[in-house]
Formats: sequence, structure tokens, C-alpha cells
Amino acid sequence: MTSAQTIVLPGDTIAPNALPTSANPNKPLTLGPGLRHIPPQTITTTIAGALSTDSKKNAAWIEYNSGRYTPSTSDLVIATVTNSVSEAYSCTLTPYTPTVTLPHLAFESATRKTRPQLANHALVYARVVSASRDTAPEITCIDPSTGKSEGLGPLKGGMVFPISMGMARRLLSGRKGGVNVLEGLSERLAFEVAVGRNGMLWVDGGNVRTTLAVGRAVQEVDTEALGDKGQSKVVDRVLRGL
Amino acid sequence: MPRAAEISVNEREFILQGLKENIRLDGRPFDAFRSLELNFGDEHGVADVQLGKTRVIARVSAEVTAPFVDRKFDGIFNISTEFSPMASPAFEIGRPTEAENILSRILEKAIRRSGALDTESLCIIAGLKCFSLRADLHVLDHDGGLIDASCIAVIAALQHFRRPDVAVEGENATIFSIREREPIPLSILHHPICVTFSYYNAGGIMLVDANLAEEQVREGEVVITMNRHGEVCQIAKYGGVSVDALALLNCTSVALEKVKDITKFIQRRLEEDAKKRDVGGLIAELSAENAR
Repeated sequence: MTSAQTIVLPGDTIAPNALPTSANPNKPLTLGPGLRHIPPQTITTTIAGALSTDSKKNAAWIEYNSGRYTPSTSDLVIATVTNSVSEAYSCTLTPYTPTVTLPHLAFESATRKTRPQLANHALVYARVVSASRDTAPEITCIDPSTGKSEGLGPLKGGMVFPISMGMARRLLSGRKGGVNVLEGLSERLAFEVAVGRNGMLWVDGGNVRTTLAVGRAVQEVDTEALGDKGQSKVVDRVLRGL
Repeated sequence: MPRAAEISVNEREFILQGLKENIRLDGRPFDAFRSLELNFGDEHGVADVQLGKTRVIARVSAEVTAPFVDRKFDGIFNISTEFSPMASPAFEIGRPTEAENILSRILEKAIRRSGALDTESLCIIAGLKCFSLRADLHVLDHDGGLIDASCIAVIAALQHFRRPDVAVEGENATIFSIREREPIPLSILHHPICVTFSYYNAGGIMLVDANLAEEQVREGEVVITMNRHGEVCQIAKYGGVSVDALALLNCTSVALEKVKDITKFIQRRLEEDAKKRDVGGLIAELSAENAR
């Protein structure tokens, strides 16, 4: 999250001085989720949250913690395979929503004979390729430019912890997200995580105790909305408890 | 309507592995309930139970009707359950799921057929007029342990409910409104409480009060209903796993401890609520209850 934290309500008009000022006048202003442009000059909000800006990208968006995930292109997600149809696996990202497709050949070095055989209800870490209103979203486990998996693929072992969508976004945005609980824990524990934008956190610590400790620590930071100090307290407590 | 995402293979294996190592997902001991919260509404007969994230509201209401012809001396008591889609998208109105059927059947056995409520006391004039009592159960949030939470809610709501006072003169019955006369509590003979045990690992592991994820993984369940005197009202067993007879005896002794705790908790909350409602002073002295 950026330093400027303005809380806005739906329908608020964003003052021009609150928007990022770009060094390059040719770069147009990009509006992210929650903002709407009403010609000629007005920019209003459509959702309640914190106004965030990025002057380098000349972008503005609203940071909010919504409850429901809607797939959008290039999101990293954790999908659950429900069944395999002729050419693809059908997967769910969130319960009670239409399935997304994962082609059988969308894995690293997969051919018709060497494609991974995924059981029903297996977990896959994937990226959304296409998401439109009219067709089922498609996900893939390879980077289309390199043909490599780049860390995507079936998830073996471990455990999935539900987290809020805001938390997933913060975890994926790295240092800017202001979540340092995982870094703190990694000083003493060895574990692997995968964050899905659909509000899922997969943790594998090799054993039950480590996995649970990591997952529960992140969930606690999420539900209690802990800041830096609170997070380091959680880290201390978890490490002492193990 | 797309179906619910079933629990994934990874989660299933993790939960089972954890149970083998004596670890539950939320760090509870195997024989511990989640935190129980009980609140009463402004009206009499509304109980709001929160068991962990599961939330159930029970509401008891009464009206005057004619009794059934074959049961002239009994009032009527019904429990109706409603799973709102708000609790989980798996629930649809008008299309009861298996869980809903099991819940209403068990509450029927545990509360109605165990004679917890003295229905004869609901009779006003034999064969002509009686109170028809109705307990509506609303599931607001579903995170497992619905049977236990619902039973607590209904029992607490029944204990909290006050029915209007009546005076009978020959064939005429006068029903007094709450303003005219202090309403009277129901006559409840005993307080049955359900405790659900979940079985894993071919019956080797037993859990009390499983949450939704644990419920999805379990192989069998045993629901024991008893009151704080240790009288078993019903035992129901679902799922394929076989349960040893001695293990069942062990269950009843664990259940008794839990039931005693929960009954005490409900009693404490009822007393706190009564204290809050007690106006005291002259109004209290004028209440009709003192005359009886």
C-alpha cells in the first residue's frame, strides 16, 4: 500500500490533486478497480475503500477487501480440479461459481502422452489466461512466452487456508503489501507457500505442525488486521510455541 | 447451480495426518467444544447461539388452537428448521438437504419425543382449546456442529419463553395479554442436549464438535442426546464406520461432562438475562406471578 491513504465511499468525487501526477505527460492516467471516469473531467468511486496511487505507472485504484472473487486475466489462482472432460480439466476457483477450464496440455512439457494425470479434487496453482463475461475462464500452468512452468503446476501435500481477498492481494504485491509475517517466520522455519487471488493460501511446511503454524499466523494477521508491530508479535509467539 | 467445491485431496490428507498426530486444525483438544456464545432477544423466546463460526437462532412462539382430536389433553409443540441460503449456498429454500432432514429428525427425537416439554400443561380446555407452540430454527452461518448448536438454541429458547396467562371459567377461557398479567414460563421436565462425536481412521480417532472441514472428512458420526442427570434420550449413528460398544459407553461419559457444562452455561446466561429484565421495586411487587 502506498503512503497516501484516503478513505473513500461510493460516489465520492476524487479531487484532481489526489490523483498521481506523471512526469511523462504522454502517459495517460490508468484507472483501476473501483474508479470510474465520467467525461469530461470527473472521476468518481464505485466502491468503499482506500484510494491508492502509483505515480510511476500513473495509475489509481481503490484498495478494498471484497468478499467475492471474479477471475481477471493474469491472476494467480489456486484451482481445485472437479473432473476431466475430453481435452481439459474443469476446475473451480471458488465454491458455487461456474467452473473454469484447464487444458490438458497447459502444463510444462506436456504432450498427449506425458500430461499430468490429476485426480478429482486435486489442487493446481495456475494463472488466468482469459476471463470474459461470456465464456468460461481459462487457466494455464505454463508461461506462454517461455513455455516453462514458472512455479505453476499441481500442488502436492500441504494445506489450503482461506484468507480474505485483500490479504491475498497484499501477499502477492510483495513489500508494498506490508505483510512481513511470512518473512519473519522463514527465519526459523522452512516452508513453501502459494497465494491464490481467489482467497486461498497453500502452505507446505513438510510437517503438520509447521504448516499449521504458518497458515494460522497468516490467518490471524488477516482477521485481526495486524500492523507491523502486531505481525512481529505473532511471529515471536509462533516461533516460541514450536 | 454449480455444486459446492468438495474438500480437496490435500486438505483431506492434511486433516487426517494432523489427527493421527493429535493435532486439530484449530488447535483444540479432541474432546473440546468451540467457544459457545448464547444471547437472548428483546422478546421472550428468542435465543441466538454461536458455536465457533456456526450461528443458529431459535424463536419460540405460541398461539391458541384446538387440540388434536386423539390428544384432547395435550397442547401442540412443533419444531421447524429452516436452512437459509445465507448460511451456505448449498442450502436452497424448499429443497431440504440430507443434513436438514437429519437435523429435524434428531431434534424431533431429542426434544419432542423425549418429553422435554410438558405438553399437558399447554392444554387450556380439554378438547377445545390449547396452546400450539412452535419453535422456528434459523441457521444463519454454517461451520459444522449444526445439530449441537440447534439443540442448545431450542432448549435455551424454550426456557426463555413465557406464554400468556389464561383464566378458565366453565367453557370460557380468557387469555391475558402481557400487559394485563405477567406471562408464565413453560413447564420443562428436563433439558436434553446433543453432543456429536465424529469418527476417523476406521473408528480409531474420535472428535467432539467437528467443524465443517472436519465434518467433510469424517467416516462416521454418533449423536448422543442426554440431560444433566445422565439420562440418555437418543443415540443416532450415521456413516459406514463401525463403532465399538465400549467406545459408545465412553462417548456417553464424555457427553455427560459436556452436557453438564452446557446446561450450567445456559442456566447462567438465563439468570443474567433475567437480572437484566428485572425492573424491581413496586412494579415487581405488583406482578401477577407473586399472587400465585
